[in-house]
Amino acid sequence: MKNQNLASTKVWMRSLHFIGAPLHEHLATWKDACVLLFQVIQRIPQIHCWRLNEISHSVVQTGLGSLPIVILSTTVAGVILTNEIAWHMNAALHTVTMIPGFAGQFIFRELGIAIPALLMVAKVGAATTAEIATMKVTEQIDALKLLGIDPIHYLVFPRFIAAILSGACLSVISVSITLACSILISVMNYHFSVMEFFNALRHFIGVKDMICALVKGTTYGAVIPIISCTYGFRCQGGAEGVGTATTNSVVSATIVVIFLDFFLTYLFTLVL
Amino acid sequence: MIQVFLHQLGGVFIFFIQVIRTFFITKGNFKPILAQIASVSIRSISTVTFAGIFVGAILVLQFHLILSKYDAESFLGGLNTSTVVREIGPLIISFLLAGKIGAYTAAELGTMRVTEQIDAIECLGTNPIQYLVVPRMIGIMISNLILLVIGLMISLGGAMMVATWVCHINYLEFMSSIPRFTSPWTILGGVLQSLIYGTIVAAVSCYQGFTATGGARGVGKAVTLAAVYTNFYILLANYLTSRLLELHQNYLGTT
Repeated sequence: MKNQNLASTKVWMRSLHFIGAPLHEHLATWKDACVLLFQVIQRIPQIHCWRLNEISHSVVQTGLGSLPIVILSTTVAGVILTNEIAWHMNAALHTVTMIPGFAGQFIFRELGIAIPALLMVAKVGAATTAEIATMKVTEQIDALKLLGIDPIHYLVFPRFIAAILSGACLSVISVSITLACSILISVMNYHFSVMEFFNALRHFIGVKDMICALVKGTTYGAVIPIISCTYGFRCQGGAEGVGTATTNSVVSATIVVIFLDFFLTYLFTLVL
Repeated sequence: MIQVFLHQLGGVFIFFIQVIRTFFITKGNFKPILAQIASVSIRSISTVTFAGIFVGAILVLQFHLILSKYDAESFLGGLNTSTVVREIGPLIISFLLAGKIGAYTAAELGTMRVTEQIDAIECLGTNPIQYLVVPRMIGIMISNLILLVIGLMISLGGAMMVATWVCHINYLEFMSSIPRFTSPWTILGGVLQSLIYGTIVAAVSCYQGFTATGGARGVGKAVTLAAVYTNFYILLANYLTSRLLELHQNYLGTT
């Protein structure tokens, strides 16, 4: 339905259009994302897709590129988390002996993984969408198709593998840094010794939590390039379209990461 | 690298002072500000609602997992609400706003700068800061507060739903432990934090857009820089404000 026809239609029809048009757009995008995910998974067994040079280049761009900001942010997060937990425990139970268990579990299950994922969305996801949308707008993707090159194999697959690898690595790194900061603060401010901290930590952290951290980090890493590539491929209409696609992709990816976080947390409370 | 960072920080600060001075010197015109508030709030309200529900739910699940090991489930409501109001709520809302509105503002102003529309406005004798930047900046700052209040309420609702259905904690029990950890001062602290983060989002994204150079690629670079610097400044500010509020609480002696 075009805009000039809208003025003549009835009010209820226009309001339905107002709700339905964005909904239709969203549903079409999700359909595209699912199709893209399956197409990428289909290409995993095909050996000619594993172009190691391209993948390692992509790992450097996504993983190493976001390493400085991840390190800085997780340092701050660890310090804040420990102080907050100490304050709350002091208010509730008048003791700070619970810091190791509480902080350790929260870091392994939630904080150490969610922060790098959200930062990767803002940094890697936005860059990927902008790149692919620019290629789409300047018809480079059509040119690739014309040359008989599969754009999913050429553009999406290396980013997908690289993002999975760097998602896992970044979550391990950020968990270790956050934990180290937490230990530092509890030694400095709350008179723990390092051995005491680890001793208390051992009762609460097991292999389960590490599996949980790795699975979560890998999943977020897999989801981010798929969503940003989908928005890039759907981009229309010049430089303005690229900007809109980038913004939409960052917001959707953030929402999806938060939703997946809830889903996986619920799953792990049931299973592990 | 340090030099670039300090240069950015100083630039943002000078720009912010300039905008505030322009806002107070020139004759106030509140209509564009109201229009900005309306558009920013309406564009981000669905995102904030969705994120609010799930953030509350995630926190309840995690805290329940930990607290059940200590048999201290009665603190669940208070702990969750206090964490959301004090730290997570303002942080998440500002992150979302930075991703959605900050990037949009930087792209808009950057495109205007690159296509020389801002120079044209200056040539016509209008102050571009008064005409373009002041409404956007004030609009983002105020709508951040509105979105914070909505997000906090929704997140509390999501938390109570999950606590009732998944963790089997009565919602009255959930509510009863809230006043143990939170007071009106806590909410005021959250609002103060949110005001600071909103100012950061607005100032950084307007500054990056306003000073963009070099064609379409420059706009893209401005948008990316706006997102990265906003996130980083917000985390730094988070550390500083939480230290400040902690000192304040210790001074008041409230537990």
